Amino acid sequence: MTTISGTADKVQATAPLVGRPDVNRKRMARLGWAFSTPALIIVAAVTIFPIVYSVIMSLSNVSVTGSGINLNGFTWSNYSIVLKNSTWHYALGFTIVYTVITVLVELVIGTLIALVLQRLTSGRGWMMALLLLPWSMITVINAELWLYIYNGVYGVADAILNAVGLGHPNILGTNTPAIIALMIADIWKTTPFVAIIVLAGLVMLPGDIYEAAEVDGSSGWSTFWRITVPLLRPTFALAVIFRVLQAFGLFDLPFVMTGGGPGTATTSLAILGYKAMFQNLDFGTGAAVATTTALLVLLGCLASLRFFKVQVGKEGT
Amino acid sequence: MARARSRRYSSRRSLRSWQLAALLGAVGALAAAGCSSSSSSTSTSTSTSSSAPAVSSSVSAAPGNATSGTINWWASPINTSGKDVRQVLIQAFEKQYPNIHVSLTSAPTNTDTNRATIATDISGGSSTPDVFMGDVIWPAQFGEHGFAVPLSNYLPASYWAQFAPGLVQGATYDGKVYGSPMFEDQGFLYYRKDLLAKEHLPVPKTWEQLVSDSETLQKAGLVKYGFVWEGDSYEGLTCDFMEYLTDAGGTVTNSSYTTASLDTPAAIKAVTFMRSLITSGVSPAAVTTFQEPQAMSTFASGQAAFLRNWDYAYADSQVPGTPTVGKVGVAPLPTFQGESYPGYSNIGGWNLYINPHSKNIAADLTFVKWMASTTAQDILSVQYSEIPTVESVRTSPQVLKLNPVLAIVPSTRLVPRPAGTPNYPALSTAIYTNVNAALSGSTSPSSAMSAAQSQATTALTSAAGGL
Repeated sequence: MTTISGTADKVQATAPLVGRPDVNRKRMARLGWAFSTPALIIVAAVTIFPIVYSVIMSLSNVSVTGSGINLNGFTWSNYSIVLKNSTWHYALGFTIVYTVITVLVELVIGTLIALVLQRLTSGRGWMMALLLLPWSMITVINAELWLYIYNGVYGVADAILNAVGLGHPNILGTNTPAIIALMIADIWKTTPFVAIIVLAGLVMLPGDIYEAAEVDGSSGWSTFWRITVPLLRPTFALAVIFRVLQAFGLFDLPFVMTGGGPGTATTSLAILGYKAMFQNLDFGTGAAVATTTALLVLLGCLASLRFFKVQVGKEGT
Repeated sequence: MARARSRRYSSRRSLRSWQLAALLGAVGALAAAGCSSSSSSTSTSTSTSSSAPAVSSSVSAAPGNATSGTINWWASPINTSGKDVRQVLIQAFEKQYPNIHVSLTSAPTNTDTNRATIATDISGGSSTPDVFMGDVIWPAQFGEHGFAVPLSNYLPASYWAQFAPGLVQGATYDGKVYGSPMFEDQGFLYYRKDLLAKEHLPVPKTWEQLVSDSETLQKAGLVKYGFVWEGDSYEGLTCDFMEYLTDAGGTVTNSSYTTASLDTPAAIKAVTFMRSLITSGVSPAAVTTFQEPQAMSTFASGQAAFLRNWDYAYADSQVPGTPTVGKVGVAPLPTFQGESYPGYSNIGGWNLYINPHSKNIAADLTFVKWMASTTAQDILSVQYSEIPTVESVRTSPQVLKLNPVLAIVPSTRLVPRPAGTPNYPALSTAIYTNVNAALSGSTSPSSAMSAAQSQATTALTSAAGGL
């Protein structure tokens, strides 16, 4: 902090000698670039290069050999293989449905939890710490724990379902129950994250509006729908976009718990891409899966952004 | 008002750029998967062709007779209890070759994770590990991609002749042997001696008999489940399926790996039978999520009468404190009624491969050759009950009397997985995902097999690995 302000002072001190203000500005800009170049280089190396390389790979005839990855000319074939593949169609549908349902449920439950937390007078710190436990747990460990719970022979979930007369439903071995089981594990883990974001949004809301609402005789229900929800829209947007990005890349839970099965019922796009690249060593097709997935996430986020923006616009008019 | 609007607009803009940053991060994360081995992307195949002659000239005079150097050996854990067999082997080797130093890198236990790691290492040009212990199903994929040295260029036919029949053939791709068999594994039928004796039942020789034995034992209340095996959506299911398929007289592909034959009556019979094990209650419904550990623990806790598993299952069922101690027998797998006994056992196990980038291939060959020596094979079999790959050790009285598993090894019938194609991983995925879907009841055996047929055909005909 001190070094930055020190440099700025120095620049200002030397500035009058140069005289012309636009030159001064140019010099400041140059200095800014000089300071941010190292960071930009790192960002480029770890972010932009891999993205560009991945896109190039998805558009090439890739051969993986003992001496490296060779790109042998341009082709659309990786994309045509992916777009025609029935497993990809399924994985796309599964990933979208999974994302929509988990994000919606997390948003609803997370908001409810945040509203409770906001009203807590004592022990809020403790409750938040407890609440954050699932979120702070490494996903793979979380998945292993749920694997025990869902185990078809000695799992707790199996025992409970059996005790209430539902028999042994073979949770992870049947399509729909396996998908629901993954969603529950996901919702359990990430709802606290949504709750914390929404709570932060709630705390920032101006109190005078609520006082005004109270004076006007607004009921709790209409206060919530007419004041809290509209004011929380930017917060919701934030939470949704974070979660959509994460949920769309669904990998660890099915990787540990189902391996993408039964059959291909829980094969997400990321699992499919992983299999293409690292099991089948087909880097071209794998890169095409990664690129299409990335594009879809991008579109999904822009769409949800548009959705929230439209709402704000309506409110403004 | 206009001011307020423009401010709102600008705040939206900033939100947007923030979002763009987040998106870039996510895209990067996704794309990174495709780039973990991009470091040597510019190097071409010329580097291998230029280094290969140099290597062969240095060792062709005396392959495997080098007596100095350092070797990094990549191997996944072989045993879970007692002294690490890998370290025991290294110590015995270094005693015989004091000037060759071997360091161990422990590989992931999951065979697919193991392969993904070593494949990216080698394609990235890494010169370590020098020698790696790899699954028996890797030769075609590794040979095709140039991830392993063709050992038959260095080691003579007399070297390969010492191994048990079928093993070298399994390690061969396109006329070259890529892996030297280190230890073998195969499927066995484990059964509860005490339970069968109580009901005066013979050890089943047919699958049908296994079902009726199971039902008898379950009805008598002696055991919860009849038969447990590996039915999860993973490589192990391909192994189990191969056994039923071969018993039923079917194959996965033709001998030249050009066409698949999975929508045949034999394949449908195999899957229909596997599914019937679940619908009849002989196998728990959860068997469709079982890998080896779950099948093993169900059997070892006394909840099942029969188990299909690999050779280590015997030792695992005899760990002190296990309810099955002293109650377990082992036999070759049954077959379908009308077929000749025994049924087929799928071949598993591990070979030694050499990294083409290794700087010391001469010493690597010494190490690989030593692993086929009586000293090493004795350590693996006599001390650790692994099935030796060298025929003379395998049939020696000392090994045969060691435990009931090794005693029946010479009488089993073996079938390899269809791993002679570089696209085997995609072929196996076509098998295990569809068989698993049929087992879970979400699709019928015949429609599962026609889906498997079309995916297998894609796998066999696509140039790269495919999806």
